Amino acid sequence: MAASIKHQLFFPHPPAAVWEFLTDAGLMELWLMKSDFMPIEGHEFQFRNKPVPQLDFDGIVYCKVLEVVPFKKLSYTWKLGPGDGTINVDSIVRWELQEKDNGTELLLVHGNFTVLENAGVFEAMNKGWLDNIHKIAERLNAQQHG
Amino acid sequence: MAEPRLDAFQVIADASRRQMLMMLSKNSLTINSLAENFDMSRPAVSKHIKILQSAGFISITDKGRERHCALRKEGFDALNEWLRYFDQFWESKLKTLENLLNDKLKTKN
Repeated sequence: MAASIKHQLFFPHPPAAVWEFLTDAGLMELWLMKSDFMPIEGHEFQFRNKPVPQLDFDGIVYCKVLEVVPFKKLSYTWKLGPGDGTINVDSIVRWELQEKDNGTELLLVHGNFTVLENAGVFEAMNKGWLDNIHKIAERLNAQQHG
Repeated sequence: MAEPRLDAFQVIADASRRQMLMMLSKNSLTINSLAENFDMSRPAVSKHIKILQSAGFISITDKGRERHCALRKEGFDALNEWLRYFDQFWESKLKTLENLLNDKLKTKN
């Protein structure tokens, strides 16, 4: 399993209209979260959400704008933690807009969970589990047929 | 002494613990054979193992005199939980965005 989240949507609107909703803090608040976002590379900002105690998430997402290509691309870091100054989740959110004949295709990729990917542990683990399950299945099959 | 309870991300933020998990993903190992691979004191190895155990990443079984470590699924479930959380988060946020943009279209026409 790849440690990234992908969503793709089509909007019957030109890229400029969709872009506005991705980059204007006032409009972002209407659908995403309250923030002090500005579409300027290097700008540091925060999203404020409700805390999620069961996930050790204080509700604040710490971000930094990485890339701004007007009407085409936008990306920022996405870090969060329990509120004691430590970070549990370090990731990147990327938006890509593609102009179509009658609208805009919007792609969201939330990935680069760096703690996971640097380690390679996540993949190894999931593979390890899969192997174990295969072993168990083989053994069970052998018992049935043996 | 009780070890502080760490969440899944803090657990795998440590390079030695990641290495231990990588080794265990291939084979279950005794604490002794695991410790041989690390240039650190036995108490330090034990501390890492305790952290991995209490976060649900590994289980420890006594077989005779040996203590065997094996991977457990629970630790990885916590990581998957984060991914699931954000997957659902984005899905619902994007739905709202879609509604907003569609409303805009209606008022324009």
